[in-house]
Amino acid sequence: MHEMSIAFELLEQVVQAAEQNDVTKVEEIELEVGELKLIVPEAMELAWETVCEGTIADGSRLNLTISKPVAKCCVCSCVFEPEIDNYLCPRCEKADVIITRGNEIILKSLSCETKKENSSQ
Amino acid sequence: MKIKVVENVLKKNDNAAQENRVLMNNSGVLSVNLMSSPGSGKTTLLQKTIPALRPDYRSAVLVGDLQTSRDAERLSNLGSEVVQINTGKGCHLSATQVSEGLKALSLNEISLLWIENVGNMVCPASFDLGEHLRAILLSVPEGDDKVAKYPVLFQLADVILLTKVDLIGVLDFNIETIREDLSRINTRAPLIKVSSKTGLGMEQWLDWLREQLETQND
Repeated sequence: MHEMSIAFELLEQVVQAAEQNDVTKVEEIELEVGELKLIVPEAMELAWETVCEGTIADGSRLNLTISKPVAKCCVCSCVFEPEIDNYLCPRCEKADVIITRGNEIILKSLSCETKKENSSQ
Repeated sequence: MKIKVVENVLKKNDNAAQENRVLMNNSGVLSVNLMSSPGSGKTTLLQKTIPALRPDYRSAVLVGDLQTSRDAERLSNLGSEVVQINTGKGCHLSATQVSEGLKALSLNEISLLWIENVGNMVCPASFDLGEHLRAILLSVPEGDDKVAKYPVLFQLADVILLTKVDLIGVLDFNIETIREDLSRINTRAPLIKVSSKTGLGMEQWLDWLREQLETQND
């Protein structure tokens, strides 16, 4: 259940971005998570809902995409897409890799209402 | 309105991990993050390993648990500094907790820092603490299917310790299953069979550690 600690970090960044942009309400968060971070989408959504209570992001939707990992073989430098339970290099058949993608958690964007939009209505 | 951000959500952790790494490098300290399920023998292994490495190499320990200071108490009579980190409800250590722990240690007096993570085979794998090496433990009573069940953790390993091997034969445990699963998941990390109770395999483990410590000093 490391989703909760990630949700707290995410909220901090969302609130900061919201403050910098005169946001009045956050409606949707676009989040990209590497598959190797072992995030369970349902648990992440529940954690997000919980940490957002009473904040500017209260009730916001979490649009979560999972990105596939990419590995580089430490033996022959071959770059390939491993499965989560199989890191065997297709060229040299060793399982000795550096993960170059699949460990990231990226806040990509917020969809929100701003003061400007409200006053122009 | 859509605001583009593109920011690493774990940047606070990742920055702290990088600072920890630099701090330990500057002090000539090699750090090992011990990860496994609860009860696999992390603390017992340290109770045997720390005295065996002295006087050549002095250790300190940061030990993470949700509650209690029992592990720190078990390690306190080894003549090494031990800092207990209670994570409360947290299922893993974070790099910021480790940096707090590092402040309490005399890094210039040690060669080796052990970070005993919270017993858990999922969450600790997601958080870089700034460690140099990752040692993953798997004890015989847990069963020979655990490498296949927790591939992400075992993929990270620099060394894998099969602990409580004195129980092979008492329990139905097939070491070939472990080897076969590791052949797809991690062929870099050596698999060392140890028993903290009988001392079996301890020399091989200590040799591996000495090799890492000597490589770091080069």
